[in-house]
Amino acid sequence: MSFSTPIKSRASAANCTPSRMSYQQPRLDSSPLTPRQYAQLTSSFVSRGRRSPTAGPGKSCIHRQPSSPLRLDSNHPESALTGTGPVSSTPKKPAKKQLYRASVQGDRFIPSRSSTSTAMSKLESESKTSAASSDISSSSASSLSFQPNTTALAYQSSVAEACGLALNTRILAFKPEAPQSSKPIDLRSQYNRPLKPLANAQLRRRLPTSAERILDAPGIRDDYYLNLLDWSCNNQVAIGLDRDLYVWNAESGTVTNLLQTRPNTYIAGIKWSSDGAYVAVGLSDGDVQIWDAEEGEKVRSMTGHAARVGVLSWDRHILSSGCRDGSIWNHDVRIAEHKVSEFVNHQAEVCGLQWRSDGNQLASGGNDNLVNIWDARSSTPKFTKTNHKAAVKALAWCPWQLNLLATGGGTYDKHIHFWNGTTGARLNSIDTGSQVTSLQWSTTYKEIVSSHGYPDNNLAIWSYPSLVKNGEIQGHDTRVLSSALSPDGSTLATVASDENLKFWKVFEQIGKKMSSAVGGTLGSGKDIAKVMMIR
Amino acid sequence: MPASAKSQDQNASSKAAPTRSKLQLKGSSKIVAEFFEYSINSILFQRGIYPPEDFQVVKKYGLNMLLTVDEEVKSYIRRIMTQLNKWIIGGKISKLVVAIVALDTGEVTERWQFDIEVLSKGAIARKPTSVADKENSAPESGMQTKEKSVDEIQSEIQAIIRQITASVTFLPVLEGRHTFNVLVYADGDAQVPAEWIDSDPKEVRDAEQVKLRSFSTNSHKVDTMVAYRLGNAD
Repeated sequence: MSFSTPIKSRASAANCTPSRMSYQQPRLDSSPLTPRQYAQLTSSFVSRGRRSPTAGPGKSCIHRQPSSPLRLDSNHPESALTGTGPVSSTPKKPAKKQLYRASVQGDRFIPSRSSTSTAMSKLESESKTSAASSDISSSSASSLSFQPNTTALAYQSSVAEACGLALNTRILAFKPEAPQSSKPIDLRSQYNRPLKPLANAQLRRRLPTSAERILDAPGIRDDYYLNLLDWSCNNQVAIGLDRDLYVWNAESGTVTNLLQTRPNTYIAGIKWSSDGAYVAVGLSDGDVQIWDAEEGEKVRSMTGHAARVGVLSWDRHILSSGCRDGSIWNHDVRIAEHKVSEFVNHQAEVCGLQWRSDGNQLASGGNDNLVNIWDARSSTPKFTKTNHKAAVKALAWCPWQLNLLATGGGTYDKHIHFWNGTTGARLNSIDTGSQVTSLQWSTTYKEIVSSHGYPDNNLAIWSYPSLVKNGEIQGHDTRVLSSALSPDGSTLATVASDENLKFWKVFEQIGKKMSSAVGGTLGSGKDIAKVMMIR
Repeated sequence: MPASAKSQDQNASSKAAPTRSKLQLKGSSKIVAEFFEYSINSILFQRGIYPPEDFQVVKKYGLNMLLTVDEEVKSYIRRIMTQLNKWIIGGKISKLVVAIVALDTGEVTERWQFDIEVLSKGAIARKPTSVADKENSAPESGMQTKEKSVDEIQSEIQAIIRQITASVTFLPVLEGRHTFNVLVYADGDAQVPAEWIDSDPKEVRDAEQVKLRSFSTNSHKVDTMVAYRLGNAD
């Protein structure tokens, strides 16, 4: 009877362990367990128990065996097991199943000792190529091969040693992908071509590091707002040194003192006429004089300005003068009443003035930081630009693109802006890093050269429209006041407050047979000169 | 009981000169880690994984070494190196592998392997015995008989770097675009951050193997080897 109840309770759990039940049932059906049957039971348990390898002395199945069939009596067989030793907390179901299958196991209620050790479980999991898990259920599942485990371990380690593999090594790879190279690399080309691309001889012409010629310019006034240097089309350089105006003939090298102003006046602006025969001189008292360079005589004097005339610009027979009071007067030099029109917009001294080569527009820059673009016919500016943050003295119209104007700002601005004279749009800008004192476009290269004052005192050559700085010439110790380009476009003359007039071959044409600007005859501007009648 | 006493002795001896051995180990690990960093950069440059413009010359080991200046590659290598550093100091890795993998096919074209061996165990064991000998000679000289000077180590590394550079003469030109993967053979108990995953060894099929020179510091020994596949063109 006593046996039947546990059987029934077992039967309720029979769905879990059918195999077990089938095994057990024949014996348990008989109500009282005969001693022989009991012995059989115990012996079977003993045999099973003996094969469990790591069972320690206190944990042998033999010790537990008598309890197990006895426990079958109780209604709570599982709970009774707690006294017999450490019990796995996992469901017995898988253990029981396994036990039956394998038939060489430890006690069915107690998982094999060795499987609980991490090393073993790891080895087992590795050998079974399953994800390493320290879950005891899985380790108990793997405890099937309990008996051969020890030998298996020894076998594996010896094999591993023979093969030179460390058992416990993992091969780890850095998971993130390496960054892609920006462009494909052909190693062959790396060895077939020089690593650094050779400087293209055409692209990189040698810029002069020293001046071709240096002339003395003593007494030059260190004033940003004056324009004291100009180079005529017949190769004569006029320079105003305080009260004197000197003309240096680049071909012959002779110097003539063309004029000397009255005491207490000085020369503020110089401009050769387009034929090179006359030079217009603006004086500090507002007088504008025209001198015949060849004869050495004053041809005309045009007064009226209220203050000094620092800048002049010719447009055929029209001479425009920019005054310190901000007004620009246009003089027709052929007629007695020379003043034909007046452009008034600037609030401060006009320091930059240039007519466009076709005479349609006049650009002016002033100490009020404004750039004005005037149409020849109108007395109000077509465009007024306020982008510059300092006085605009450097102005230049582009020789190959008629409506392109470059303007350079003073000490606090340092920028060169490029404008479309037709639309008034700002096309480009360069931050030069220094006060821009003059700009000259090259007629041979698509470049512009800027001369600078504070702080660099250098010359910079820029490509247009790429705005790449092609070179820099550190030529003067103090700020470069003005510059002028030779008629053939190859040489730049610069004058600085260090009283030096230096000539630089910046736009030299390589391979082209050019008569050098300094020495050699040039176009016959002189003949044309006399044609123009000046009264 | 005896076992514990022995372990105490061991502890005492190791405590007696832990600073020196620890410093030595750290210094040696630093040398090894630096060597790996420069080698990886050299390999990337020599094998054309990245364009030569991405590299910049620095002076190291008395040679002109090339280091990448590309920010992405730099940070990628930096991440690898910080982890490698920890592992080397802990003695957790046995091999470092740089596998050059073709981008189109994903197969491993070349495999550079650096074996690391830690020599420190022997050194620590020797300490108790050498303590007795030290009574006769000044401590520094007693240590230096076993120590290698920095110059020696440097010249050994120089030789390996030169070999890596010279290897371009026999390594086949890599066709197409390639990228690189870094693998380590780590101990099972090493701490592994999330960025490192288990991988296959990425061996080269039908490989020719060339063993390059090795260098050793006081605590480590590094062997170098390159495996490649002979080009098809004969």
